[in-house]
Amino acid sequence: MSIFSQLGSDIAKLWVRYGGLYLSGMRNTLVLALIGTVIGCLIGFVCGVLNTIPCTSRDHFLKRFFLKLIRVIIRIYVEVFRGTPMVLQAVFVYYGLPYFTNKAMHFASYWTASILVVSINTGAYMAESVRGGIISVDPGQTEGAMAIGMTHVQAMTGVILPQALRNIMPQIGNNFIINVKDTSVMFIIGFPEFFAAHRAAVGASYQYFPSATLEMAGYLTMTLLASFLLRWVERRLDGESSYELVESDPLTLTSGTYSHPNKGTPFDEHGVEFPGSGRRRSGQ
Amino acid sequence: MSEHILHVRHLSKSFGNNEVLRDIDFTVDPGDVISIIGASGSGKSTLLRCINLLETPSSGEILYHGENVLSRGFNPAPYRARVGMVFQSFNLFNNLTVLENCVIGQVRVLKRSRDEARSHALEYLERVGMAPFINARPRQISGGQKQRVAIARAMAMDPEVLLFDEPTSALDPEMVGEVLTVMNSLAAGGMTMLVVTHEMAFARDVSSQVVYMNGGVIFERGRPEEVLLHPQRQETADFLARFRG
Repeated sequence: MSIFSQLGSDIAKLWVRYGGLYLSGMRNTLVLALIGTVIGCLIGFVCGVLNTIPCTSRDHFLKRFFLKLIRVIIRIYVEVFRGTPMVLQAVFVYYGLPYFTNKAMHFASYWTASILVVSINTGAYMAESVRGGIISVDPGQTEGAMAIGMTHVQAMTGVILPQALRNIMPQIGNNFIINVKDTSVMFIIGFPEFFAAHRAAVGASYQYFPSATLEMAGYLTMTLLASFLLRWVERRLDGESSYELVESDPLTLTSGTYSHPNKGTPFDEHGVEFPGSGRRRSGQ
Repeated sequence: MSEHILHVRHLSKSFGNNEVLRDIDFTVDPGDVISIIGASGSGKSTLLRCINLLETPSSGEILYHGENVLSRGFNPAPYRARVGMVFQSFNLFNNLTVLENCVIGQVRVLKRSRDEARSHALEYLERVGMAPFINARPRQISGGQKQRVAIARAMAMDPEVLLFDEPTSALDPEMVGEVLTVMNSLAAGGMTMLVVTHEMAFARDVSSQVVYMNGGVIFERGRPEEVLLHPQRQETADFLARFRG
């Protein structure tokens, strides 16, 4: 029992000395994960829309060529950024820019570099999730939109993506939670996130285990919070489960001016003898 | 030639080596109500989908007021806005309410103001008897109600022609009547309609022409009493006999 009270007092001591460090680390982690996930989702949606532009043999060959090119570029982007570790991407981007511009350019802050890397990385995953989300929406929805004259972009933004978004919300949640944890690799370019706070605190205090316990609890708190938030968003997206009947006539001007010409006619083919008389509107 | 709204010439469509439509020729004039009948797999739906460019025909021409809609570089979106379509499976937008379903096309495609689109949509929802349900979502209403909303959605675009692809085939028998009543009133109002149907009473009573298709070919075309009561071809008579039995 005493070992636990020892741990408790160690954590309390750490918190008193480095509490501000941990808290600002948590804040930076959450902000970076949130911005990275949002921008990553936008990248994913743009890739998803570009990937699904219909192209038929009747289209101009330049259009077909560009669509093909776009798809190849997106494919390469997805494979490269999904297939390499984010910690390396951070180093690659952060030190790559001054290297290639002969030190003429460099990232003004680790924020820019970190947001860029997390966004691009999330975008690569989201591009595939969005593609799956679009496929999961019934093709009849696209046909319905096309049939009233919508263009691809209109159909996507008005009909398909809102439904795809609902379907991939669990995926977006996954990515956000992964980002909360995986932004810890950004310490490599000096980003002061939550895990960097641990490294700084134990560097001075040598309290490895108490600090790690604190970190575990901190990360779990953040991810649980994110889970609740995401569930809430999902419920909002589902909308009301009931609806209000509009009893009062919403269009008083035209109400009553319309009547069915053949109200109550049994159109059922089984109901009537075939060569019967009946109203005919034939051969006008 | 251009007094025809639609003029289909030598239209063929193959899926792989399966020839679904063969050398189809026919015209649609203002005020026509054409019922296309025939057994399943005879190419009726494919013909309708070709006309609305949801399928790309293999060869032939579809002239819309004399302009070939299959020519390279033809923009299908404005054409589709003029040629409405009602589907067997309704295809209402599941993310939108009944009213929004009828508004979105008017606002985005026809660039109408929201207020104008709304009152226009309400007018048609009223006509199909769905005005009380404007706040419902598609998943909350019955099949017959969905189809009536789908008709209102198509009509709200003020199309020149309305294509119906087996509009009652996915409905329970007691819901068929409500949809046919709406279609009947549209026809009485002078709407030009092209209807793929298995409802022989509708073909007989409402349409001005009946087209019988078999194996991707138009076998007969004429006034309902000609085709339905005095078919010229044995295949037509055999097909119709199945409905009389």
